[in-house]
Amino acid sequence: MLMALPAVGLTSAANAAGKPTYTIGYEGPLSGGYQQLGLNMVFAVQLAIQQANRNSKLPFKLKLATFDDQGSSTLAPAQAQAAIQNHSLVAMIGPAFSGATEAAEPYYSAAHMATVSPSATAAALAKGTMNNFMRVVAGDDVQGAADANFLVKTHGLKSLVVINNGSFYGAGLASVVAKQAKKDGASVTTYTYPTTGSCGGTASVSEYTSAATQIVASNPAGLFYGGYYCGLGLLLGALSSAGYKGTIMSDDGSWTTQLIAGTTPASAANGVYVSEAGGGNANLTGKLAAEYKALSHFTANGATYAAQAYDATNMVIQALRDVKRSPKVTVLRKQLIVQLHRMTFKGVTGVIKFQGNGDLSRSSFVDFGKVDASTNTIASVGHS
Amino acid sequence: MGAFAHFLAGHFDTLRLEFWSLLVGGVANGFIYGMVAVGYTLVYGVLRLINFAHSEIFMTGGFASYFVLRAVMGTSVPSGWATFGVILVGIVVGGTAGALAATLLERVAYRTLRRRNAPKLAYLISAIGASYFLFNLAGKEFGRYNESMPQPYINHPVFTIFGAPVQLYYLVIVAAGAVMWLVLDRFVAATKLGRGIRAVAQDAETASLMGVNIDRTIAITFALGGALGGVGGFLFGLGSGVVYTMGFVPALKAFTAAVLGGIGNLRGAMIGGLILGVVESLSIAFVQAAYFDVVAFAILVLVLLVRPTGILGERLGRSA
Repeated sequence: MLMALPAVGLTSAANAAGKPTYTIGYEGPLSGGYQQLGLNMVFAVQLAIQQANRNSKLPFKLKLATFDDQGSSTLAPAQAQAAIQNHSLVAMIGPAFSGATEAAEPYYSAAHMATVSPSATAAALAKGTMNNFMRVVAGDDVQGAADANFLVKTHGLKSLVVINNGSFYGAGLASVVAKQAKKDGASVTTYTYPTTGSCGGTASVSEYTSAATQIVASNPAGLFYGGYYCGLGLLLGALSSAGYKGTIMSDDGSWTTQLIAGTTPASAANGVYVSEAGGGNANLTGKLAAEYKALSHFTANGATYAAQAYDATNMVIQALRDVKRSPKVTVLRKQLIVQLHRMTFKGVTGVIKFQGNGDLSRSSFVDFGKVDASTNTIASVGHS
Repeated sequence: MGAFAHFLAGHFDTLRLEFWSLLVGGVANGFIYGMVAVGYTLVYGVLRLINFAHSEIFMTGGFASYFVLRAVMGTSVPSGWATFGVILVGIVVGGTAGALAATLLERVAYRTLRRRNAPKLAYLISAIGASYFLFNLAGKEFGRYNESMPQPYINHPVFTIFGAPVQLYYLVIVAAGAVMWLVLDRFVAATKLGRGIRAVAQDAETASLMGVNIDRTIAITFALGGALGGVGGFLFGLGSGVVYTMGFVPALKAFTAAVLGGIGNLRGAMIGGLILGVVESLSIAFVQAAYFDVVAFAILVLVLLVRPTGILGERLGRSA
């Protein structure tokens, strides 16, 4: 699971100058059913490090080490333990998934290692003050409420089925959606369909066939799915076969064109709304987008959380420049936590300043997208 | 007590309203379980072991048909006879790939052990090793995404049963599953090769003395089970797409179905599959989908408590 990438973008002159080398980690899904979300981010991290290494005035060299947790809370602790054992590793970008973050945080916290997540949105993760966990996205309390308002207030849907995939992330987000939708005046029925064997879980895919029958029988005006694209793709296929015609929405875990590739038939993904808690300028654009594509072969527009990963990495690099870097890694890690909480950083997604609990200080808005299976794209349809 | 009665009444009401729809979906799933279960049952019949790599035979069939259909169809959706032809191609490719993979597996993972009179535990470890090797290889080579199978039709309700729509996809599963199972049943019951399989299942040593080629018979048995498993992978992939881990849960369910029906019994495997598919589908009227698999395995335990040899019992070596 541990995949240490070589130093990126180092010049021989920089090496010869004898600058110290620091490693920045990335933890997220780099294999398994959710790897697309992790790959979106890791290339953005790599891009930020490459760019920093090109700067001859940078007083240190940077390396990237990646830790593949497959988005799993079971695998995450081992990855965290491996990361903190790396004595050149000063801060972690990630973990990417909320459940994995919840499972790994005790280890990072004990090692006083800053974890700046581009994408872990579960509301319950932000707790305490001046802790090591920070994120450059809004929490699910913001995203879930915005999604509910989008369905009930913007689209006028009065009956909703709210589904979650049984994960820490999906269940937390779906419960916020259900609560807000009820507050908005909709009738809400909730179901849990656990992650299936086709998506890295152990539940049977056939659960969706029966579930779709049940959903169609109650014929809700709208359906919200709290979870990831792999499970949603399978559910969409079953709903399509069962003849469901209502409005379908999901979250940032489904904002990827892999949703279309994994839906059988692909047309069943057409018209599905998705949301992203990134807030504002959530994509890498212009020259950055071109560099990102050259590195990853992904189009930046649609590479969910790439921009946030880019910002998180640059923020860590800036913090590393700002502090009086202790030669002791345990002290340096603590210095970075303090500095990251102190600083205000202007990134491509906006101005980033953390509250004591690690949440963004600014109020974030949630972007909404609509899937177009015929063009294999997700088009922006506004924000909260 | 009143609240509980009200709770039950509500769920029975759901079952009454949705019974036929849930039944249709359950039967379709049951046919897939049954087809895969046949592979377990055949191998158990001749070798008295559970082929835990059968899940990867299923996956191999799914991927082979996926690649061929993608090459044949591109992005077009055929209609009429072309649809029938493409489905047939998927079945033939899935079945052939499953049969080849199973034969290769028998050669590499089992035959050597058999010749060395290895203990049963060695077969088990060999099967698990082969399973891990195959699905990780598939993940590495084919990617770890769930890929959508090209659709040879636009799925739609063909007719209704008591108001429940019967989708074209379900008809394809049931038709393919029923035909393949009937052919296999007759093959094992009425052909010379089938008699060989039954003879080996009953007493391999005596069968050998009577002139039955044991190696060949076992290889054929693997191939037959693999063919049905491969077709199962194709049919499953038509509805759920293909991914390197796709075999794990369906194969576990199929193994359950084989035990439920009576391991070693061809008809039992199909009946076990159908019962499992239908019961788990109907259970959703009573419990959240989170308990879907709990229900399936609770049924298995209950049946085995009453009939330890499964519903039809073990009928090793008989004409099923």
